[in-house]
Amino acid sequence: MSENILEIRGLNKYFGPTHANVDVDFTLKRGEVHGLIGENGSGKSTLLSQIAGLYGSDSGEMKVNGQPYKPHSPLDAYDHKIAMVMQELGVVGSLPAGINVFLGRMNRFSKAGILNKKALYKEVADILEKWDLSAPPLNRNTDGMSIESRKMIELARALSVDPEILLLDEVTQSLSLNNRERLYKLIEKFKSMGRSIIVITHDIEEMIEITDNVTVLRDGAVVGTVISSETTPDEIRNMMVGREVEGGYYRDDYAPDFSDKVELEVRNLTVAGEIENVSFDVHEGEILGFCGLSDSGIHTVGQAVYGLTDKKLTSGTVHLMHNDTYVNNATTALRNNVGYVPKDRDNEALMIAANIRDNFGLPSVHVIRNKGTGFIHPGKVKKLSNDMVDKLSVKTTGIYQTMDSLSGGNKQKVNLGRWLAKDIKLLILDCPTRGVDVGVKAYIYSIMKEAKKDNIAMILISDELTEVLGMSDRIIVMKDGKVSGEMDRSEDLTEQKVIGVMI
Amino acid sequence: MMQKRKVKAADIIPFAAFIILLIFFAAASKGKMLSAYNLKLLIEESIQTIVVGCGVLFVVAQGSIDLTVGVNLALSGVIGMHVATMTGVGWLAIPVSIICGTLVGLLNGFLVAKCKVPSFTLSIAMLIGVRGIVNFIQTKIGIEYVPDDLRFITTAGFRFTLFAIILVAFCYIFEFTRIGRYSQAIGENETTTRFIGIPVTKYKMLAFVISGFLAGVGAIFSMGSVGGTSMQMGVFLEMRTAMAVFFGGILVTGGSSAKFYKVILGSLSITVITTGLSLIGLSDSQYSESIEGILLLIILFVTIVASRTGGRKKIVEKTPHTKEAGAQS
Amino acid sequence: MQTDLTKNVSMDENRRAWVFPLVFIIVIVAAFVIFNAVAGGKFLTLLNIKNIISHAVYPIFIAWGFCFLFACGYTDMSIGGVIVLGSFAACALGNQIGVGGVVIGGMLVGFVLMFVNFLIFTYTKIPSWIAGISLALIYEAIAFALKTGKNTSSVVTSALNSDYRILGQLPWSLVILAVGLVLVYLLYNRTNIGYNIRSIGGNKKVSQAMGIDVNKTLLAVGVICGLLIGLACVMQESYAGQTSVKTGLTSINMIFQPLAIYLLAEILQKHINIIIGVPICSVILYSVFNMLTIMKVPSGTLQEAFLGAFIIIFALIGQHSVKGVVK
Repeated sequence: MSENILEIRGLNKYFGPTHANVDVDFTLKRGEVHGLIGENGSGKSTLLSQIAGLYGSDSGEMKVNGQPYKPHSPLDAYDHKIAMVMQELGVVGSLPAGINVFLGRMNRFSKAGILNKKALYKEVADILEKWDLSAPPLNRNTDGMSIESRKMIELARALSVDPEILLLDEVTQSLSLNNRERLYKLIEKFKSMGRSIIVITHDIEEMIEITDNVTVLRDGAVVGTVISSETTPDEIRNMMVGREVEGGYYRDDYAPDFSDKVELEVRNLTVAGEIENVSFDVHEGEILGFCGLSDSGIHTVGQAVYGLTDKKLTSGTVHLMHNDTYVNNATTALRNNVGYVPKDRDNEALMIAANIRDNFGLPSVHVIRNKGTGFIHPGKVKKLSNDMVDKLSVKTTGIYQTMDSLSGGNKQKVNLGRWLAKDIKLLILDCPTRGVDVGVKAYIYSIMKEAKKDNIAMILISDELTEVLGMSDRIIVMKDGKVSGEMDRSEDLTEQKVIGVMI
Repeated sequence: MMQKRKVKAADIIPFAAFIILLIFFAAASKGKMLSAYNLKLLIEESIQTIVVGCGVLFVVAQGSIDLTVGVNLALSGVIGMHVATMTGVGWLAIPVSIICGTLVGLLNGFLVAKCKVPSFTLSIAMLIGVRGIVNFIQTKIGIEYVPDDLRFITTAGFRFTLFAIILVAFCYIFEFTRIGRYSQAIGENETTTRFIGIPVTKYKMLAFVISGFLAGVGAIFSMGSVGGTSMQMGVFLEMRTAMAVFFGGILVTGGSSAKFYKVILGSLSITVITTGLSLIGLSDSQYSESIEGILLLIILFVTIVASRTGGRKKIVEKTPHTKEAGAQS
Repeated sequence: MQTDLTKNVSMDENRRAWVFPLVFIIVIVAAFVIFNAVAGGKFLTLLNIKNIISHAVYPIFIAWGFCFLFACGYTDMSIGGVIVLGSFAACALGNQIGVGGVVIGGMLVGFVLMFVNFLIFTYTKIPSWIAGISLALIYEAIAFALKTGKNTSSVVTSALNSDYRILGQLPWSLVILAVGLVLVYLLYNRTNIGYNIRSIGGNKKVSQAMGIDVNKTLLAVGVICGLLIGLACVMQESYAGQTSVKTGLTSINMIFQPLAIYLLAEILQKHINIIIGVPICSVILYSVFNMLTIMKVPSGTLQEAFLGAFIIIFALIGQHSVKGVVK
């Protein structure tokens, strides 16, 4: 057995005119956790997809255990003990969770063509137990489940192959802190068993923490490989972008800084079964951060403030001070200068198959329309979209390009920009940088800083602690649906302190 | 950053299909097709489908389906006409038909938007149930003829004026007001639309109400063309309308593929096929029907191939039924 | 999220899974008994029950066909036309060579036409239910031509010899139903192909990435639906003895009742497996029709109105706690 379990030499992949992977050389050792990092469109997911047998390669060769390896399908890759958890593929919603794990490979649970469901579920439960992952009910259909549970099913699917090489594409971004911890343990266990993992994540700090080596990709080509214990986030960031990242990232001041005027007054906000008696104020020009574990209810707070939660289950008041309005439903919020950026960008925020113009225009339609005749001037919508595309420098061929052909970062620019096109007094941001690369991340932070200068009140809900610490004036920590702590921005506020209140 | 909207193949096909059909039948009928009489007939024959289709458009744009328009038209017409006959006040048929149609639409909207009954299930139930009621009423009261003081609805002048008003009004509502924009948005992604703060339930109900309203209006056209009620009123009009809507290039998923002009083109194309076939002497229903079917398949196929090569990759096989099945289980 | 509750949850649910169907059936039976008492014992007579059951059989096969069709995302409006043509064949061949002819004729034509439909749906990518309407036009026209044709008219429209109709009568129809139930249940719930079908209906892209051959699976659905619809042709011709046809998309009427059965079963799906739900709902449906007839509610008019209301009420109950997007 050679020391290298996977060797890739001169791999190329084209998508039409796009050269997605350029002469990629890559080596994975036994027992190594290897990170892949790069901006959106740098070709890291494409590389993993080729290893996992989803795409063929146009030239170059791969070797597994020194043997030539050319997978035709994911099932082929499974036979070589290679399995992947994909970033945005998911599961079949109309089938039970357990079936999803072995879908397409259920033959071994069949006798005379008849499937033994019990044996199958037991095997899935065993896998989840073996790797200490939280298990959703296996006989329930997945479409009622949270993103997190569905990710667990996908993980179980990959692990069911008992892989020697596990490929994880942006898995942590859908997980909350406690499940992330579990995943880190899984990675360690894998390593101790002499197996190998390739990880893609946008979170550079996390990447350095959990990997042995990191390979940086840019424009489809390998820029270089560094040893995780000897590098810094800044070094990696510079390698990714190819120049010094200017102007800082998070805020560079270390004190709360906002007006005395209260914009939003929330009192005793309760959503039965999710959050309880949450009260807080947000001031003009303030960024109020929310963090907590997966059941803490931070995302529900955002929905409830925007009036999206079930009326029958919700009580308490959400008071907008600038025009003395109480938010009872989302329509009131929309009409009273509130904006909301949901967590699940593709499913909750954007019309993914529609064009950029329609996405930019939708929240503003009621403002643009002629109040008397109801006439919506097409030219005005067009102008609004063109202006915003220019202002946010969205990379696109024009406002009639459909959203699904944009990169994650550019999608997020549209998602945010459609609110900035309006006269907004309060902006609720739920994981605004989820799944976007460093460049766009920095850009979103700069937009937030600008909005802050414009005296917009903001609620920042995030699963990334560093982000909340880096951007917020005050932080509210939640636990089991209740507020468990409140802290002001200061230089010596550390992650450890916040985590202490979270758990 | 200004950019001209690229014309997609999928957007041209409805035009192309219509023109090719027209030329084909014009040639095959040695020009008879394009005579003033036949062109007028073409529009006459399309009126019902177009009027009703304008309403169905709102529902289809939202990704739902309304197959109740045929039976709704029949019910509205039968009731409207009966009221007119009973009271002796002919014009009453018009408001009564429209109110009846709107009420049925409201019921549909309530059941779909508020009670979350899948629109396909509801449509089938209404197709069966309301047709039963209509038949029941008609066996009791028989066929009724347009009373003299209502005869104006049979005149071309009235019919074309009303038709023009409907076209302009609903083109405006669909293409240039919130109702149309929001309906498309709901078809693109209902969750998104709700998360933005648009009252989705209200707009879903409204779409069915509009559809019902126009079914009521359609009843007036139907009675105007026949001169009274009939057992055949609105029979399979819902299928014709649905075909016209989808034939015009609107996807079953609705959204931004829903366009007003597509309803008109789709309806006209289908009428060109039926009238064209009878003009070239294939009116014998056993042939014309199967030729109609084959022609429809061919044109749909061409549309889909062309739109795929035209870059719109969103033509995914999705029936209204799957969509709802996926969402509820 | 809990790690260790998996097994408990599934066992708990298994136990609960039996409660609803049991209660449901008891309620239905109770309703039948009460109605019987009200109707002065006219409802639950042996003859009447026989009537209901023998009528309920052939639509069950069509409704099962729908289960597979809808599971992979197709809606086929031409099934009525297929059944008319299949029944013609069953009749023509049956009168020539007997019961075997009925089976061969019905199965063959039903199977071939359904398979053709599937090829069209799969390879032309025309939205199936629009293609289905076009196909219905074609099939109806062919059937109509056969019926009015000089040479063919007498062959296809004459009644099927009653000796050859045993498959549509009790007890044979029940035997076929029972065998069908077991096979279809296993196919849908306990085989790879069953799950593959449901998987591509749920999410084609994911299914593909998981290694399921989509085209192969769709063709398998074509075969399954073909067999089921073919059998439905055999059963309907054997039951009715004669099939009539008109043009103008009237054949779509033929599938309304099976569609209603399917929709009812689908509404109950959360509690009763859909394949088992179909026969139950079929019996309920025809019982309700039967009750209405006993109550002298005219058929073809008010009975249909009741059926429509019945479906809507069921749907209301079934959708009672549904959250999320419904189109």
